[in-house]
Amino acid sequence: MTSFARSFFCRPMAAFGFAVFIVILVIALAAPLIFVRGPFTIVGMPLLAPGSPGLFAGSDVLGRDMAVGLAYGARISLLVGVTSTLGAIGIGVLLGATAGYYGGMVDDLLMRITEFFQIIPTFVLLMVLVAFMQPSLGSAVIGIALISWPQVARVVRGEFLSLREREFVQAARVLGLSDARIIFGQILPNALSPIVVISSMMVGNAILTESALAFLGLGDPNLLSWGSMIGGSRSAMWVAWWTTVLPGLCIMVTVLALNFIGDGLNDALNPRRRR
Amino acid sequence: MPLVRIENLTVGLPPGADRPLAVEDASLQIGQNQIVCIVGESGSGKSLAAHAVMGLLPRGVSASGGKIFFDGVDLLEEPPEAMRKRRGRDIAMIFQDPMAALNPVVAIGHQVAEQIRAHRSMFEGQALKQAGEMLEQMGLKDVGGLLKAYPHQLSGGQRQRVMIAMALSLSPKLLIADEPTTALDVTTQAQILALIKRMQTARDMSVLLITHDFGVVADMADTVSVMRHGRIVESGDTKTVLGSPAHSYTRALIAAVPKGECRLGAAPASAPVVKVDGLTKRFRRGGLFSRAPAITALDNIALTLSRGETLGVVGESGSGKSTLARCVIRLLDPDAGQVLLDGADIAHMKEKNLRPLRRRIQMVFQDPFSSLNPRQTVGDIVTAGPRAHGEDAKVARARATDMLSLVGLGPETMHRFPHEFSGGQRQRIGVARALMLKPDVLIADEPVSALDVTVQAQVLKLLDDVRRQMNLAMLFITHDMRVAAEICHRVMVMRHGRIMECGPTAEIFANPATDYTKALLAAIPGRRTR
Repeated sequence: MTSFARSFFCRPMAAFGFAVFIVILVIALAAPLIFVRGPFTIVGMPLLAPGSPGLFAGSDVLGRDMAVGLAYGARISLLVGVTSTLGAIGIGVLLGATAGYYGGMVDDLLMRITEFFQIIPTFVLLMVLVAFMQPSLGSAVIGIALISWPQVARVVRGEFLSLREREFVQAARVLGLSDARIIFGQILPNALSPIVVISSMMVGNAILTESALAFLGLGDPNLLSWGSMIGGSRSAMWVAWWTTVLPGLCIMVTVLALNFIGDGLNDALNPRRRR
Repeated sequence: MPLVRIENLTVGLPPGADRPLAVEDASLQIGQNQIVCIVGESGSGKSLAAHAVMGLLPRGVSASGGKIFFDGVDLLEEPPEAMRKRRGRDIAMIFQDPMAALNPVVAIGHQVAEQIRAHRSMFEGQALKQAGEMLEQMGLKDVGGLLKAYPHQLSGGQRQRVMIAMALSLSPKLLIADEPTTALDVTTQAQILALIKRMQTARDMSVLLITHDFGVVADMADTVSVMRHGRIVESGDTKTVLGSPAHSYTRALIAAVPKGECRLGAAPASAPVVKVDGLTKRFRRGGLFSRAPAITALDNIALTLSRGETLGVVGESGSGKSTLARCVIRLLDPDAGQVLLDGADIAHMKEKNLRPLRRRIQMVFQDPFSSLNPRQTVGDIVTAGPRAHGEDAKVARARATDMLSLVGLGPETMHRFPHEFSGGQRQRIGVARALMLKPDVLIADEPVSALDVTVQAQVLKLLDDVRRQMNLAMLFITHDMRVAAEICHRVMVMRHGRIMECGPTAEIFANPATDYTKALLAAIPGRRTR
């Protein structure tokens, strides 16, 4: 085991978060194997309480098995959360690093573009983007990535602005390293902690944003996510708490696990705090 | 009766520190109207000992034994509220970095007045008037404007004078000065030390001065205590300790202090490898809407540098010496002039064409902490240059091991991270990184100014050795005339971006041509008594 992995797993919260995330991931991936029926199959009376025969998580407003829905919902929520975050990180790191490293005119131009995205109410922009591209899983991922990269770009730019003045970056230039090598090989590893931390938060945010989209009917109509489960059950919130609370708990636990992982990575990635 | 009597003081460190006790069984006396120095290297516990007297130990650190008698009262037994009242009134303190110790968003006048009003009830206007009088006593001019100024508008020397004014505003019996001149230029240092001495005599005050510099000790102290690893290894009258040190550590420390005597004669004659001519650099200030006048950091600089020769560039902060180094190595783009490297002008070359030439000029940086990438192993750091120039990684690693042993580090160094090393070791890694590319020219930008004297001497020797072995042309930037004397064949004195004079080291030291150079030489601490 490398010292990085050892350092990560000797932190109880990080190990716990990682374990929870793996469990959710396995359930999500194995959903078609665990459950015979699909998430849209009606299995009985609507709004049956958890613990009813054959329905340990109860049934929703249409009489569908909540447990199946939660497992299938995890697939979509995690997929949207992770892929849109990866996209946002990609765009944000590239633009933020370029702006921060080169400074001057390049910085001015890129930051004005970033601000253009920041001053528009993001959710309205997202709705326009998704409606424009036709509601589907792909358009939700692209839309969420496009509205969340500016905060990554800002953080990365800030890190680069301060790091590029450090002597080790000057040393790299003196050694004759190319700009790409300096940006990705020398500076980026030092800027990784804040990127990792915000990306773990962003996965949670993306899951929530996708829920809001699904709630407004801009989600993929053929797929069930935790968000669309909450949206679809909100009329039953007062009579059948489990229809909204269970998917909500799933979101919370996932986001929490991701945060623990983020904190653990943050510490483990820093050689100085490695134990 | 002495004013302060420290008896068997022991200060514990939190678990996980490099040693269990920061200060161990230290005893020390400060007489009335005396200046007492504690001298030692970084990590010796000298600063914590002083902070213990002030009752300002950092969180997790506490005095676990001993007594500190101040005017007959044990300060360690005193309740926090009484101690708070005592701070400023009876005991005052000044710090190394006056910029960090002053509040950046409060005008100077208010800060000094607040100090006075914290202990004496009076109106703001009255306190401001007193503050103005204090600043005047510190030798500051235009006090009216100064009271309204903010810390960033002052020079380092002015800030330290303000700090001293604040410290002395309530006429304390004891002034603790923790490395008060370390962040200052040598001429400013001399002025501040003279001011402290003058105030001490005028106000019948005792001073506890913490320093790492034996020159400062020689100039200032009545008695001195030498600390090492938390223990006081030797105490006594300054003349005795400096003249005939009893402890081997004191002897080693004193021997490591550069004496300001020129070691090297003329350099072996050879054709110059670097020729700089008419080099000019301006820094533009202001943003899009305001254009402040540009600052000329380098004004028509010319120099030559030959193989096997060390040229020292000395000057105070703001003299342009670091800008010169950065223009020659093209970390900055000069506005005019040329830098000829074996006849090729690199001053205005495109980065793409310059990159293959970069391996011929290498640099050692000032800050051993920020000059090594904290996320990379030493092996990766040292081999980054050769790999960027297309050398096979295996070959580079084998060479790196040899290079590390040349600079005095073992092969196990390769797999460790920079934070596991001391400042001196890191500077050695920096030298190894520069030499891996087999350069012709080595630029050293204040390479020893962040190091302790004993380590300083070792790194200077290393640089001189590699210069000899690899027949390097070395451009050595320093603010310390003593260091320049130690290692340079020739010295160039700079001020406000211009060359004041340039010549063989021995000649400049013996017959300085300009008043400025004379002032620099006169300000070297410890010169007067030696």
